[in-house]
Amino acid sequence: MSGIGHFRLGHLTLREPPARDACFDVVLRDAEMHEYDGSDPRALRETVHRHMSNEITSLDIAAQCLVEFPDAPWELRLELARQCWDESRHVQVLERRLRELGGRKGEFPISTFEWSVTCALDSLAARLATQNRTFEAGAMDVVGSLAPAMREGGDRETAAVLDGILADEVHHVRFANRWIKAMVEQDRRVLLKVASAVRFLAEANAALLAKAGEENAVGRVMADPTERVPAVNVEDRRLAEFTDDEIHEILRQAGFRSLLPQREPA
Amino acid sequence: MSLSVADRARRIGTFRFVEVRLMEIAAGWTPTTPEMEAKVMFGRHIWDFAQHADALGRRMFELRQPAQRSFDPAPAYVTLLEEVAAVEDTAGRLAALYDVLLDGVQQQYRRYAEEVDAMLDAPSLVVIEHILADARRQREEADQLRRALELPFSPSPGLRARAEAVEMVAAAGA
Repeated sequence: MSGIGHFRLGHLTLREPPARDACFDVVLRDAEMHEYDGSDPRALRETVHRHMSNEITSLDIAAQCLVEFPDAPWELRLELARQCWDESRHVQVLERRLRELGGRKGEFPISTFEWSVTCALDSLAARLATQNRTFEAGAMDVVGSLAPAMREGGDRETAAVLDGILADEVHHVRFANRWIKAMVEQDRRVLLKVASAVRFLAEANAALLAKAGEENAVGRVMADPTERVPAVNVEDRRLAEFTDDEIHEILRQAGFRSLLPQREPA
Repeated sequence: MSLSVADRARRIGTFRFVEVRLMEIAAGWTPTTPEMEAKVMFGRHIWDFAQHADALGRRMFELRQPAQRSFDPAPAYVTLLEEVAAVEDTAGRLAALYDVLLDGVQQQYRRYAEEVDAMLDAPSLVVIEHILADARRQREEADQLRRALELPFSPSPGLRARAEAVEMVAAAGA
């Protein structure tokens, strides 16, 4: 794999960050991010900025998969190419919303953790399992509760942007689920790659996530990581073709907290 | 006499190879280009190139070929593509892709359109018209981006000369 190299973090080998504008301060650890209490006037801008940054990273990851797996089936490469466009539109709408809120790119530190973990993996199945099926599915849970909360709080604009993005993300998770299943049916050893990727992600999370009681860069005391798991977006996970057993397992890990369907009225 | 079915398949298959490679070049540059606005534009164009390759690949099946089959271009053209892919600075990348490569690709599509029987090969021409319209938009977007980021319009003269000198389509049997 050429272009962007690797670095060591303890016993883990992660991918060096992708290129970013000079205005961005790229940090490695969760606690270095500027996550504010919800009452802070900067909290909304930081949330939008964080989502925008994550979409840039998702674009980088999908593009890198096209480059590093040229022998993948054409139909899967088409899905990844479409994902590149989706993520680039997400960056644009979030940057537009950020400016409407008086913010600017580079206003807060960003992390490229998802890239560093996903692009360290050497199989496409493992990358789809990590980026699409785990990170993007996790974002479905986060946005699934965030968008209605913003709407209830009177910020219909940000809620509409996030809900529109969420609809696209459902398909990114769904095509990953379909292709991983097809790859496993063709070769059972792919399951080992996926299981190994899940373990790798857990270890990276353990190394870099803020610990319970740790104070972050803006003085917020962080809760235990298990308490920061968002409510499960069961409806969208079903649309993304997670099985009932998988959803049950995710619910168990989240303490059986789930979202009730709460969509913008038609 | 217009091109034979086999000749048309070779040309369409070569165009498909080039569109896939353009998709890969834009994709390869996305994580290694710092400017967010450039990444965003590459993201859109990756999808454009993928759709072009897909439409050409489907047309191949109608020309007695396996669907999504590509034909390798002439070796000198492959070298040119590799040279473009290796450009590292953003201004150089934009110039190499949009001013040099895409300009040449547009000319090749137009030449193909002139050489075929427009009635007999209308399905190919519909695909090509769509690609040419996209290419015009892509080049306009690249120009807008350069103006917004205040990047120089600086195609390497050597690269342009080589692009004009090399044949894209390999001779039959090559």
